[in-house]
Amino acid sequence: MKRPDRGAGNCARNHEAPAACHETGRGTPNPARNKRTTAAVAALGLAVTLAACSVPGAGGGTSDEQLAGGRITKPVSPDKVKKLGKTDLRIIADSGEQGFLKKFVPLYEKKYPNVDVKVETKAFADFSKTIVNTMSGDNPPDLVQGNQGYGVDGLLVQSGLLRPIDDVAHAYGWDLDLPSGATSQLRWSSDGRIFGSGNLYGISQSNEYVGVFSNKKKLKKLGIEEPKTWADFTEALKKAEKNGEQPIMLGNSDQYPAEQLLGTIQAQKQSVSASRAWVNGVPGTTFATEANRESAETLRDWAKKGYLGSGYNGVSSDDAVTKFTGGKGVFLVAGAWNAPAIGKQLKDDALFTIPEKPDGTVAAAGSFGLPWHISAKTEKTDAAIAWLGMMQGEEGAQAMADAGRLPVRTKGVTMPDKLAERQAAAGKRLLDDDGQTYYFDWASNSMMTTIGSATQDLLTGRLGTDAYLGKVQKDWKGFRADQEKAAEKKSGADK
Amino acid sequence: MTSVSPAVKEWARRQYWPAYLYLLPGAAFYILFVLRPLFTTAWISLFDWDGLTLGSWAGLDNYTALLSDPVLRSSLLHSLVFIVFYALVPVAVGLILTGLMVRIRIRGLAVFRSLLFIPQVLSTVVIAVSWRWIYDTDGPVNGLLRAVGLDGVARSWLGDYGTALPSVGLIGSWIMYGLCMVLFLTGAMRIPRELFEAARLDGAGPVREFFTVILPALRGEISIALVLTVTQALRNFDIVWNTTTGGPGNSTTVPSVFIYQGAFVTRQVGSAAAVGIALTVLTLVVCAVIMRVLRERKG
Repeated sequence: MKRPDRGAGNCARNHEAPAACHETGRGTPNPARNKRTTAAVAALGLAVTLAACSVPGAGGGTSDEQLAGGRITKPVSPDKVKKLGKTDLRIIADSGEQGFLKKFVPLYEKKYPNVDVKVETKAFADFSKTIVNTMSGDNPPDLVQGNQGYGVDGLLVQSGLLRPIDDVAHAYGWDLDLPSGATSQLRWSSDGRIFGSGNLYGISQSNEYVGVFSNKKKLKKLGIEEPKTWADFTEALKKAEKNGEQPIMLGNSDQYPAEQLLGTIQAQKQSVSASRAWVNGVPGTTFATEANRESAETLRDWAKKGYLGSGYNGVSSDDAVTKFTGGKGVFLVAGAWNAPAIGKQLKDDALFTIPEKPDGTVAAAGSFGLPWHISAKTEKTDAAIAWLGMMQGEEGAQAMADAGRLPVRTKGVTMPDKLAERQAAAGKRLLDDDGQTYYFDWASNSMMTTIGSATQDLLTGRLGTDAYLGKVQKDWKGFRADQEKAAEKKSGADK
Repeated sequence: MTSVSPAVKEWARRQYWPAYLYLLPGAAFYILFVLRPLFTTAWISLFDWDGLTLGSWAGLDNYTALLSDPVLRSSLLHSLVFIVFYALVPVAVGLILTGLMVRIRIRGLAVFRSLLFIPQVLSTVVIAVSWRWIYDTDGPVNGLLRAVGLDGVARSWLGDYGTALPSVGLIGSWIMYGLCMVLFLTGAMRIPRELFEAARLDGAGPVREFFTVILPALRGEISIALVLTVTQALRNFDIVWNTTTGGPGNSTTVPSVFIYQGAFVTRQVGSAAAVGIALTVLTLVVCAVIMRVLRERKG
């Protein structure tokens, strides 16, 4: 940056005679002195930071801590909540919940007038990355949303930050409403290392799963009925291709949509329990099953035949939705949560279904929406339980529907439009058949990236089917080994 | 204090101590917000830590694992490619434009300069979304190619294994060349007119003039431009993440993607910190080399 002879005098560049320089110009920078100053500052910095050095992280909480607020045996009444006096209930939620919260918070505050709900929402990316740290802080919120899988929920349980809510589920009769298989996505061993069984740590009113969108007008033009079964669906793909249409619209630059497409195919071929067992990390399970191999081959085959068009790896999922509503592609295999964007364009022409399996049941890549958890440190357990109870009831379900989302509970709920009605019906059937197969990327913390990029490679033929299955399984295995090592270390430390 | 050597005493005597008082506020900020996080990161990189529960000492394991990770190594290669696109191309383009603009008087130069500087000012997410559209299968680039009959060349630029990396790189060139040009133009303005006149009297053509007058005078600016752009290339994350997420496959992953994933997704905070420290050291070394090679020589 320094340019020569800019009136600064030669002193600055006179390396040979620092002492002489000192006499003539105090203000000019002296390289020799600069170096020493830097050294001094660095030494000081080192001292400051070393003082703060210790093993990072906090000790894990103990698993058998007393249940915050005591066990409950019947639903919490407004009178019981009143005993808390004038109080506030602090909540941190994903920003995707804003619509729901706007409808639901006033209902809650009306029913429990002594409670003032204080909501903080964050965009999902920020939220899922900071929630664990927030919860382990000194002043955690009373209620919080997590995320199924090891990355968020597992860590929260490992650190003893969540109150188990089996007593709540029992008291409110959720056991009756929800298939027991589906709630396994919210269950953990108390050390947070085994996913899929153990205590219930959260609950959700939102239902999210992947299905098949189509455009009524377009199907009519091609002479295709909306597919009822998987056989209908594959037949329709062939017909669309023959008519010069791109059968499936796919935008996979975010890497997860093709994974969900694979999950949709796989749900047809593999039993739901087998899919879940692998995601949950049951020892001895593998990704390289015959059904998964067939599914991967089908996906590759579709790509090869041009069913997915070209350039899908360079199209974002949002752009794919826009292209689909703009008339490109006959089907869109995507999350039900895309409905608002699709319904806005296609109105009542938007169709949605989950094709039936050969045995007449339905199964699909899907799960509950982000679960709600009660902090283990809360002093307002009753208010928090009342929140969950009301959310899982009819009022919560209606608020969810009014916010344009799909509630888990559909009985007595009015859906806002035709598309939502179709989705609610499909969602209810999926729950009744206990057909949510979860998502592959829950299986390990790194699976999202591993399977995401590997599926891109599979689609383009860069990875053969066997290599693909092996790559995914290798990630799973590595993660299982890490989990077991950590669990062993912990049980050793507890003794 | 008997063991203080004469050299230290001599050094202490020569100091003008109150000067350090003036340094204090700046130094305090620097230590608190730059050095402290840096040292904490270095410290964390020696642990196996999930970011929450108690970490366990790992020593240099994170660093050795880093060296043996083939995906990480290939991501480093991508970074080197990005240096070409983020640093070399913009500097070259900036120099050429400067060479042209010095020769011709342009009306409203300030306006052009600000326009060309705009990519620097825009949020990178906005840039990424716009370029995703430009490169789209139905986007303008492909539209143009098809319009002139080059249907065979049209493709999903960001989704194709062969073109994804250079396509993302070109976005970087577009962002950076404005900055380089503005730097160089400002530098070129300060070249005394007489030098140009002398060169022309000696019969120098535009090319000769560029190499003998402009280029040597811009040594300092080129050094600055390279340091800024190379740093940008090495720590590149936002453009990659918002255009390709590192895909297709792993064809555009860069080290920063691993830092992000390790710290926030897979929760291997220790190894993410190790990648961060390694990347910092690499950047410092590369910048030191650039500054050393291009430093001002004494008259």
